[in-house]
Amino acid sequence: MANDPMHQFQIERLVSFDVNGVDASFSNASLMMVAGAGLATLFLTRAMAPKALVPGRMQVVAEGAYNFIHSMVRDVSGVEGVKKFFPFVFTLFIFIFMSNMLGMFPLFFTPTSQIVVAATLALIVFFTVIIVGFAKNGLKFLRIFVPSGVPLAILPFVAVIEIISFFSRPVSHSVRLWANIFAGHVLLKVFAGFVPMMAAAGFVGVLGSILPFGMTVALYALEFLVAFLQAYVFALLTCIYVNDALHPGHH
Amino acid sequence: MADPNSPPPSADGSGLDPTALKRRVEAARAQRARRDSPPEPTNASTLALRMGGEFGAAVLVGAGLGFGADHWLQTSPFGLVIGLGLGFITGVVNIVRASSAYSKTHPVDPNAPSVPDDASD
Repeated sequence: MANDPMHQFQIERLVSFDVNGVDASFSNASLMMVAGAGLATLFLTRAMAPKALVPGRMQVVAEGAYNFIHSMVRDVSGVEGVKKFFPFVFTLFIFIFMSNMLGMFPLFFTPTSQIVVAATLALIVFFTVIIVGFAKNGLKFLRIFVPSGVPLAILPFVAVIEIISFFSRPVSHSVRLWANIFAGHVLLKVFAGFVPMMAAAGFVGVLGSILPFGMTVALYALEFLVAFLQAYVFALLTCIYVNDALHPGHH
Repeated sequence: MADPNSPPPSADGSGLDPTALKRRVEAARAQRARRDSPPEPTNASTLALRMGGEFGAAVLVGAGLGFGADHWLQTSPFGLVIGLGLGFITGVVNIVRASSAYSKTHPVDPNAPSVPDDASD
């Protein structure tokens, strides 16, 4: 029971709500998301409070995160992308990063290991791209389905493929975040579960349990990398998709 | 004195023979490509999940769209079959796009020694 690697993904209602038959309870996942958003806000406001010309340690971290995402948005979607979408991308990044990092604490819940959370974030990006694309370019936005230089004869076929490709974006966008975090946490729990199992088998087992324990420590380090990497990849993909909304037909 | 057909004097220098120049141009191009799009840091499992995700997502969406078309047009099996096929094609297109973007940001070192085509001969 204690070794069940799936136990960590159990959703528990903390405060029960019921809105017209829809279960809208405040769960442990909601708590962790609120904590992640709150911690990010608290950290950034506290760190930037001195507004020092020569930054202190906290301010260097906050400015570093800002500059990192700022240069990424500028590189991928240009100056216009920075003007319109930098706050959006930065919010997504810092929220996912904080959620992932909070999930690294033992006994804490990881909201991004639920596909609902990842899919909601990806769908926000998806609909933002559609709405901004049509609002800014009108019907010219449909040009993203028509790559340039394609012979007229196979154009309908290519357009259908482009449409399916466009609709598959939120799926792969969310699955990449979710699957990485989910798989990592299961793997961690499985290896950690080997330790008490082996240790229960006598003296040789106790000696042997050093191996899975060492593996757990190594995986923990890897998971910290994955937690950052997946937040970064999510933000990077958001930039790429948003760039399509600003400049359709620039494949 | 000057023969119009003779190559300019600098081309005779050993440092500027066409293959070396080509190599340098390619290295410079690769450097620029690396700067243009920030490299997506990857380890092997991330890359595997990415490629699998791209393909699977396209197949699922293609099948879903086909199934939806069936539901609207009452053409029961055909929409799903065609959608599944189109989704498969789209998945391959997605993977080709993702991997060509990957090799753009992670170019092979142009100065690397060439590998023989076939080890057996």
